[in-house]
Amino acid sequence: MARYETIDRLFWFAASLGFAAALLLIWEGAVHAGLVRPLFFPAPSRIWAALVHGVVDGSMLSDTVVTVSRTLGGWLAASLVGAALGALIGLSRRANAYLGSTLEALRPLPPASLVPIFVAVFGYSEQMVMAIIAFGALWPCLLSTVSGFRAVEPRLYEVARVLGMGRPSVLFRIALPSALPEIFAGMRVGLTVSLILVVVGEMLGSRPGLGLSILLAQRSFQSPDLFAGIAVLGLIGFLTATLLNAVESRLLFWR
Amino acid sequence: MKPLQTRAAARETAPPTPLISFRRIDLSYGDRRILEDINLDIGEGEFVSVVGPSGCGKTTLLRLIAGLARPTAGDVILDGQPVAAPSRKVAVVFQDYSKALLPWRTAAGNIALALSAMGVPKAEWPDRISALLATVGLAGDGDKLPRQMSGGMQQRLQIARCLAQEPRVLLMDEPFGALDAMTRQSLQDEVLRIASTRSVTVFFVTHELEEAIYLGDRVVGLYANPGRVAQCFDVGLAKPRDQLSTREDPHFLSLRHELFSFIKQA
Repeated sequence: MARYETIDRLFWFAASLGFAAALLLIWEGAVHAGLVRPLFFPAPSRIWAALVHGVVDGSMLSDTVVTVSRTLGGWLAASLVGAALGALIGLSRRANAYLGSTLEALRPLPPASLVPIFVAVFGYSEQMVMAIIAFGALWPCLLSTVSGFRAVEPRLYEVARVLGMGRPSVLFRIALPSALPEIFAGMRVGLTVSLILVVVGEMLGSRPGLGLSILLAQRSFQSPDLFAGIAVLGLIGFLTATLLNAVESRLLFWR
Repeated sequence: MKPLQTRAAARETAPPTPLISFRRIDLSYGDRRILEDINLDIGEGEFVSVVGPSGCGKTTLLRLIAGLARPTAGDVILDGQPVAAPSRKVAVVFQDYSKALLPWRTAAGNIALALSAMGVPKAEWPDRISALLATVGLAGDGDKLPRQMSGGMQQRLQIARCLAQEPRVLLMDEPFGALDAMTRQSLQDEVLRIASTRSVTVFFVTHELEEAIYLGDRVVGLYANPGRVAQCFDVGLAKPRDQLSTREDPHFLSLRHELFSFIKQA
């Protein structure tokens, strides 16, 4: 039974790879046949060459390192603040009363619209980019942490009361593990948001990184470099999400 | 020599002080009266079953002893002290075992939760945990997660966690309501065995009349809306009880008859 499932899964994985390869082949053929202008859609072979060139001369690697570390730094900061604030609001009625409306008012603001404010405060600096990422990635984690802490099984709190458990013990042994799946769900969304905002931040703040390189490639009509940058961003998104999933299934083994 | 004799004599003559007593308990939520003028004494080591129609406040009585609910008027006295908050002397076996266990902890981990709350030194945990698991028939299942266990096993685990508290009072709220008949019978016998070997006082809420008689030294029948004590039935069946012979005992059958007609008119 299990073996058939594995074979099945392998088959569909191969099929999806084949589909992607076919798309790339059609694209390549369309460029060579003169159906699309290579200025807008360079052939995949040229994008690959640009990618290899970028890796060899080191520019692509340094851009990637900078962008990835910004993404992860901003995301981790946002997750930490979001989880802590979310726990406070989810656990304390009073904190919810004081902070609830303010947070509801801040939440729908598109982070990109706040860039001018961040620029005014931080200048075109590293802090500015980090502030954009952290602000945007904060909300998903905060909101799902709040709902995670609100959804803790009330029966477990009664068990804790009967056992005479202290407050820290209830928080770390009952509330936090209960809320962890939702905290992770929020962090996963936050990671996607971080990757979007790191590109926006680099473009608007002119900070070196993949985002700025993509913008500059476009301005100088280096479309293979532009697409190579996009491909790397896609790969970063895929790898970070996979890594997070692996950590999650380790931590939430009991699900 | 003399004081010993007087003490022994005193024990025979004076009625034993109850371990738990409800004194003129009233409880209302807003305009709704849940309990009215409850007076009930439960002796040390007694096994009391509580039955009654739905809405009679059986579970609320249990929560009052646990300190999870407070009366509007009157006092619940436990071991000479009014109950103001939950205490580790009183353990609660909830009906919904799957909600009462920590799903991210193994069977052993769930028991460890109680041991750590009790302040038991960590070095003693492994021995205590395996002894408790063996007591409830879960020897060797310590590494299982709740979701890997059947309903009966989960309820056994919850009982083991309660026993880790070394309670004087065990409160059980329809603990076997969600289990199948076979599992239910074997758990009934285990609870009887545990109650007698540990001489723990049991307050057992159920809607199964036969279960109430089979387990109890006394069955308390309640009226509903508001909940009042209607009648107490002394069971007086020989112990240890047996699923076959006890249930065929003429006294069992006549008690069953009495309780059924009581519930019908309650």
